Amino acid sequence: MPRVVRQAAVAWEGSLSRGTGTATATSSGTFELPIDLPSRISDKPGKTSPEELLAAAHAGCYSTSLAGEIARAGGTVERLDVSCTITLDEVEGKGHLIVSSELDVQARAEGIDRAGLELVARKADEGCTFSALIRASASVSVRAELAS
Amino acid sequence: MAAERHASVTWTGDLLNGSGTIDEVGSGAFGPLDVSWAARSEEASGGKTSPEELIAAAHAACFSMSLSSGLAKAGTPPERLGTSAVVTFVPGTGITKIALTARGSVPGVDADGFLAAAEQAKKNCPVSQALSAVPEITLDAALDA
Repeated sequence: MPRVVRQAAVAWEGSLSRGTGTATATSSGTFELPIDLPSRISDKPGKTSPEELLAAAHAGCYSTSLAGEIARAGGTVERLDVSCTITLDEVEGKGHLIVSSELDVQARAEGIDRAGLELVARKADEGCTFSALIRASASVSVRAELAS
Repeated sequence: MAAERHASVTWTGDLLNGSGTIDEVGSGAFGPLDVSWAARSEEASGGKTSPEELIAAAHAACFSMSLSSGLAKAGTPPERLGTSAVVTFVPGTGITKIALTARGSVPGVDADGFLAAAEQAKKNCPVSQALSAVPEITLDAALDA
């Protein structure tokens, strides 16, 4: 398969605490999003943040990986709902670090039972490039259930 | 204090022919955004985003904020920073490289000072640390001409 290159760009003006920026999806043109510090660390973010973009990336990576694993196991995906929560925390002596990424999966698929889903959910985690990367420095967890 | 950030994706169908949507994010700042395997693995992305593009956006944003912080702490806040991240993804292998580029308009800082601040931001920003397992992360930093 070919090498794939994806690009995004940010324009930032001013200091960290008072400045603002814009993050643009250069490759696809699908988003142009304002960012600032309060949205990154406060309880009520009104703008996106690096951690929210990573949560979207991880949920996207994992859902494609799981769709592939279910098909490989002989199942048929009807619908996967994957949510991801990324936590940024202050770690003593190390400053702010991304400490965990938690994936929550509701799967509706033909031909896969509960035990089968647990197996493919684990394989999908092993096969998702983002899981492998982030596991080097943070915890990654997956909770998968069959949708009723 | 811990900050949690959240996103949800729905996927329908198999990997090659199916497609997904980033339905919502906790901030409400974007969504729905379409994603698909083709958008991820083929040369032209066809107007859909991909995990790798979102990682590029996350890294460029984190790096920018860390650089602005470092410059301000040194008494020279930037007027403007323009940064980009290029993520190289090899299907079957993973992310092999991230190339960061930074251009800045920063009164009171010379080229060496800007490069040193950019190196610190590359090393210390939380996304860089989370992605430290990427085999190659490069930096090209210079003041605006």
